[in-house]
Order: sequence, then C-alpha cells, then structure tokens
Amino acid sequence: MAEQEKKSGLLQSVKKFVYGLVAHDQARFALKTKASMEHLFILITMGDMLGVPILPPYYSLRLLPYMVPQISTWKRRMLREKDLTDAFG
Amino acid sequence: MSLARIFEQHPDRRYIMFGGKGGMGKTTFSAAAAYYLAKKGKRVLVFSVDPQASLTDIFQRDIFGKGPTEIIPNLYAQEVDADRRVKEYQGEIRQKILDMYGMDEIPEEIERYIHAASAEPAMEESAIFDKVVDIVVNGGYDYYIYDLVPLGHTLYYLSMASVYDAWIDKITHLREQIREYDQVAAVMRHEKELDEDAILNELLYIKDRLKKSSSILTDKNKTAFFFVLAAEEMVIRDTAKAAELFAKFDVPLSGYIINRVLPKELKDQNIPEYLRNRLLMQEHYLEVIEKDFAGQILASVPEMERDVTGLPMIEKMAKVMFGEF
Repeated sequence: MAEQEKKSGLLQSVKKFVYGLVAHDQARFALKTKASMEHLFILITMGDMLGVPILPPYYSLRLLPYMVPQISTWKRRMLREKDLTDAFG
Repeated sequence: MSLARIFEQHPDRRYIMFGGKGGMGKTTFSAAAAYYLAKKGKRVLVFSVDPQASLTDIFQRDIFGKGPTEIIPNLYAQEVDADRRVKEYQGEIRQKILDMYGMDEIPEEIERYIHAASAEPAMEESAIFDKVVDIVVNGGYDYYIYDLVPLGHTLYYLSMASVYDAWIDKITHLREQIREYDQVAAVMRHEKELDEDAILNELLYIKDRLKKSSSILTDKNKTAFFFVLAAEEMVIRDTAKAAELFAKFDVPLSGYIINRVLPKELKDQNIPEYLRNRLLMQEHYLEVIEKDFAGQILASVPEMERDVTGLPMIEKMAKVMFGEF
C-alpha cells in the first residue's frame, strides 16, 4: 500500500513538474507574443518618439497616460532590439 | 453667376468649404458667402481652421479665441485659438498621468515627449480639426463655412484619414489579441490584468473622431467644396493636382471660382507695358482654365479696387458672387 502511495505521489510530482514546464512554456510564449504586440502597439501609437509619426499628435497624446509604465523600457528595447522574455532565459 | 444656383439646387449641402492656395481668396469668399446666406435668413457659422486665422481681419472684429461671435444677425464667426486649446489639453493629459499613477510630478521622459509632440505643426492642426468635430456635433446652425488651410495641409489630412482608420482597426484588433494572451498569462501566473478596457475605449473614441472629421470632408450630400484659383500658371497646376487627389479621396468638388480677375477693359486704355503684359498673361491663363476645368467654373470674380475688409466690401463681394439680394 505504501509503495502504491509512494508511486502515485511520485507520479503526481512528475505530473506537476511536467504541467509546470508546459505552463511555464505557454506563459513564456504568451508573454513573448504579448510583449511583441505591446511593442508594435506602442510603436504605432507613440512612434513620434522615434520619428515615426502615424497618428495625429493630438490623439496619440491621449494614449500617453496608458503607456507611461512601458515607455522608458520600450524605448530602450526598441533601440537594443532585445526582448523582455530574454530575462527568463 | 451660378453660385447662387448651386446653393438653391442643393439645400442639403450645409458644410461649405473654400479651398485653394494661400492668398487666393478663401477667407474673402467664406465671409462673403456667410454674409449672403445670413441675409437670406439662414443661421450661419463661419469659422477658421487656419492657425494664421484672418476672419478677425476681414470682419474687423477681434473674434480670436472668443467662441462664436455674432457679426450681423444670423452670421456668427469663430476663430479657434489652437494654441490655447493645445496647452489646456497638455494640462489635462499631465493631470491624468499624475492621478493614474499617484505621482507628484511627471517623469522627465514623459514631459519631453509632451513637449516634442506639441511642437509639431500637425499638433495644432489636429487640435483644430478635433474642435471642428465638436462644433459640428454641437449643431445649432443651418450652414457651416470652413475657411480651410492652404492646399498642402488639407491634403495631408485627407490622405491620412483613411490610413488612420485602417491603423486604428489594426490596433484595436491587436489590443483584443493582447487581452486574450494577457488573460492566459495572467491565469497562469496569477497576475493582475491590465486595464485593457480603458485603452480600447480610447482607441474607439479616437476612431470615431477621425471618422467624423473625415466624413465632414467627404459627405457628398452634405458638403460643397469650392476651389479658388487665379489665372497664374503655378496656381493652375497646383489646383489640377489637388483636384486629382480630391477625386482620389472622393471629396465632392462643386466647382471652381476664379478670383482676382483684372478688368479686361483696361486693355483698350492707355496703360503701361507691364500692365498690358499682365492682362495678356491673364487672358492666356483664363483660356487654360476654361479648357482644363471646362464646365466646372462657377464664377469669375474681379480684383476689387481695394482689399476686401469690413462689412461694406464684404457685401459688395457677396453681390458680385451671388447677384443682387
């Protein structure tokens, strides 16, 4: 009986571990895609910062408050062409 | 003059615009048309969307930044103080950032961006166009007459309107996709979700404003666009180019008005060589216009004996354009 429990315990751990890997991978992928989409979105709306005007400035200014947390990191990323998820390795 | 007829035949066309290069007479015609319509009992708002506004000059009343000002019964004129609007707007954005993030002051990078964006000439123009949407949406007038900015800027806006529309569609789609991924990632990592709804709402608001301002320019049933030109080579060429672009963007062009026509009778008088040359040149270019814009010339307006400023001259000009009233 104990042996059985041990086995299922181990199996559970393996399951958890595998699911963990998968979930982590999916999360990584989701994050990576999201990051590049955020990237693209910010470029489109705030491209003025890098001299790529697309929206009339009156309207892109309206979106500025929502971009505040990302702006300094975005500009650096834009110029370095690296990805946030590189941090995860 | 078939200008009066155009207005009579199309009573639904209540957004009137006079376009053309700077100095061709847009402000003069805007003021004169507004005067004519007001005298006919219509409630008219003539407003300037040109940062170098000149309605104050032509009506000889300081109306700059004062909202709609009554000039004569039924005739209201407005000059939008774009500069003030942009400054107010910057303040609103700053305050929003401070409130959203509980900051005491704006981060330097953000402040720099706000300054840079506001320094662009396009900022003032886009602020004015947004104001135009406001004015039109508020209603209250039978006719709206826009004294448009010179050729180049108008076309810039027309060319961008459909591009913005497509971009906003793409962006909202992107944001919706981000929101999906966000939810997946958030569930997996127990994170707080972004306020996607607020951003989406902003984008939809912007799309709506852009749509409204471009529809004002392109609604065939509600808009009458008159191109003002003079009998000069460069002006004719630029006008032809603009007309092509207008056709491309489906801007309804009602016709052309030739302005600044020197009296032909001068030719028979004893005049200096230089003036004779100018008259011959004019004759030639009037023929070119007749050929290039055949059937679409609505009026030929003479160069007046003095500049058109003040109500008496405006009335005189209105009678030249529309006939006696």
